[in-house]
Amino acid sequence: MIERVKNRLRKRSGKNRIKQRLIIFSVLVALLLLLALFSEKLCPYDPAQQNFAIALEPPGPAHLFGTDRYGRDMLSRVLVGAHISIFSALILVAVITAAGSLIGVAAGYAGGKLDAVVMRISDICLAFPGLIFALAIAAVLNGGVENAVIALAAVSWPKYARLSRSQTLAVKQSDYIQAARLAGNTPVQMILRHILPNIMGQILVTAMLDIGTMMMEIAALSFLGLGAKPPTAEWGSMMSEGRSMLQTYPWVVLTPGIGIFISVALFNLLGDTLRDYMDPRNRRETVKNS
Amino acid sequence: MKKKIMSGLLILVLLIVGITGCGSQQRSDETGSSGDEEGQKTFVFGDTTFNAENGEPDINPHNDNSGWACIRYGVGETLFRFNDEMEMEPWLAESCENVDEYTWKIVLREGISFTSGRVMDAEAVKECLEDLVKNHPRAAENLSIAEITAEDMTLTIRTSIPVPALINYLADPYGCIYDVQAGVTEEGIVQGTGPYRAVSLTTDSEMELVKNENYWNGEPKIDKITVRTISDGDTLTMALQSGEIDAAYGMPYASYPLFENDNYTFTSCETSRVFFGAMNFESPVTSDPAVRKAIAMGIDKEGFVETLLGGNGYPAAGVYPDNVSFGGDVVSAESYDPEGAKQVLEEAGWVDTDGDGIREKDGTSLVLRWLTYPSRQEQPLLAESAQATLGEIGFQVEINNTADHNRIRTDSDAWDIYVSAMVTAPTGDPEYFFKYHCLDSSSNNDGHYHSDRLEELAQEMAKTFDADKRAELAIQMQKVILDDNAYVFCSHLRMSMISKANVTGLTAHPCDYYEITVDLDIE
Repeated sequence: MIERVKNRLRKRSGKNRIKQRLIIFSVLVALLLLLALFSEKLCPYDPAQQNFAIALEPPGPAHLFGTDRYGRDMLSRVLVGAHISIFSALILVAVITAAGSLIGVAAGYAGGKLDAVVMRISDICLAFPGLIFALAIAAVLNGGVENAVIALAAVSWPKYARLSRSQTLAVKQSDYIQAARLAGNTPVQMILRHILPNIMGQILVTAMLDIGTMMMEIAALSFLGLGAKPPTAEWGSMMSEGRSMLQTYPWVVLTPGIGIFISVALFNLLGDTLRDYMDPRNRRETVKNS
Repeated sequence: MKKKIMSGLLILVLLIVGITGCGSQQRSDETGSSGDEEGQKTFVFGDTTFNAENGEPDINPHNDNSGWACIRYGVGETLFRFNDEMEMEPWLAESCENVDEYTWKIVLREGISFTSGRVMDAEAVKECLEDLVKNHPRAAENLSIAEITAEDMTLTIRTSIPVPALINYLADPYGCIYDVQAGVTEEGIVQGTGPYRAVSLTTDSEMELVKNENYWNGEPKIDKITVRTISDGDTLTMALQSGEIDAAYGMPYASYPLFENDNYTFTSCETSRVFFGAMNFESPVTSDPAVRKAIAMGIDKEGFVETLLGGNGYPAAGVYPDNVSFGGDVVSAESYDPEGAKQVLEEAGWVDTDGDGIREKDGTSLVLRWLTYPSRQEQPLLAESAQATLGEIGFQVEINNTADHNRIRTDSDAWDIYVSAMVTAPTGDPEYFFKYHCLDSSSNNDGHYHSDRLEELAQEMAKTFDADKRAELAIQMQKVILDDNAYVFCSHLRMSMISKANVTGLTAHPCDYYEITVDLDIE
């Protein structure tokens, strides 16, 4: 009896901890997004303004993150870089989640030839190493952040298509789906009203976990010169520009690097916590507790 | 029991990792430079420019710019060379006589053999020069050779037109003399007369050299040399720090402070290499004289040199550096004057009508497509610096920094200004730059610049033998292109090589041709 009570208490406190973590990480991510959204207003200096007289100044009161080789304020550039790096990753994840999920659900629901064709196309996309494939596409498109996002979207959607297809196949035979079909719903209504809402949880968790990865991949393309073009401040391109100064003027590389690290860590932690929170075992426990 | 097994496995894994680590350390010591390995002196040189992108896929001097690699790494030598004051002196040749406007008699030095074993005589040199003009369009155009006759050690060259700078052209890296009968290997290796002989070559990777035991001008001190192509500046930095290489060419300026100590030696000198932009006269933007003038006034050369090059150069006014009589301050160019540039544009009708910071005229935005390439580390820096300073004037500068520049620059619809780094007086004579960049017939005049006056002066220079008169013509020609703002010269480069402190005899030369010589040694 005592053991059962202890177990129940332990599970309840575990659930509470997850809830607390979810709130904390959600607040931190919200703060990060606000920071990125209003970065231009928060910049102490013009991020593109060059001033050779103060080139490569170490971090100090006037320039908290120091200056780069052109005398540009690193704090301002990191802040503006946050806007580009974070929102381009968010747009990318939104696009691949929406497109991949719709394609996957349609293929899973329709089955037959459509399913076979879509899955073979996704197989082809998955057969290439993702980043290398994206590099090739970005190079053909002549670089730039927009083209980097397009390139990564072109190689990343199959993951969501496969996930949503398998989820669709799992729920397609459920009684409530059969009932909805008998009630006269069209295929589009079936997908939008009955299937998508039931598989969205898993897809959202995956998308949340992907934000960090996509941010890193956009930064990687920029680092290799196929993302943001000068003088655009983007964390990957800033690291690339400053990489020859890692030993001599480390702040030029470390400050955008820390920006990437913190953002990716926060999105990953939020994604992990969200996954824990939406875990059916924890949810059952919540229902029982209530 | 399980714990014991796990502990045992863990120890085993750690041992394997440890042994593997020691093994790889040993290998890295073996592959790294050692100076003295099994009684043999070895030397490893890292270079950012020995690659196909720079037109140096191998060391065949008759192939594109590969002569640079041939002469720099001690494989080939030319009939004449430059001394430290950039004056001509005989090298494989002993003397030279200009018989008449069309005829040159060159007496070769005795006792020189190719690394193939063949003796270098007039016949061998004749074969080499004939092969050169057959395969190297620039050399053929420069030398304009009509006929070569060889007799024992005397070579007589007859040209189809007067070529006053023939001796200078023969000192160009393409003029390296090699044994044509021994041929060129598939890797692009030739048998020259230099202190070292190439034994293997992989384009864009590395080349192995061994000493030429029969070298004519002293005994080479290094037994084995490896030249590594390291295109990335950071990799080059770490390679020198770790001791993987003994010396480096093309070190990023940001890395210089790491080597400014007793463990390393810098060798530097000013060269005739200039960073300059060529305007596209077919572009609706840069065909406007006011725009070209504004560009010339809108680039902060001082800031570029002092800050971004770390003082490793000096602002350029004209084509040539200070160390030649027709260079330096003999001409003047537009100085950095952003306010003046704005006024020039305003007067020409370039006005920012929509308040976006970019000027427009007749519906055309003042967008400047800046084409450059990354293999010279200074160029992306210049591009980004100019992007900011020209941006303040009302330009929108779009940078295309690409290794594919040689293809793109031939398409005059694809760029407005092409910025490159060229040695402007590789032969110590002023004719070269104009001949290849500025005239109607110039192979590098991709912007299609034309000036009647310049064409006249070029024709006059082509038949002028007197050095002082040639210098005076060069000054006038510079004034013409500067008045037209057809080119904007940003800075001349101070070239540096960095080596470990125990390396001696590695000395920077103003012409940038001679690096690995017989004097190279490692203690």
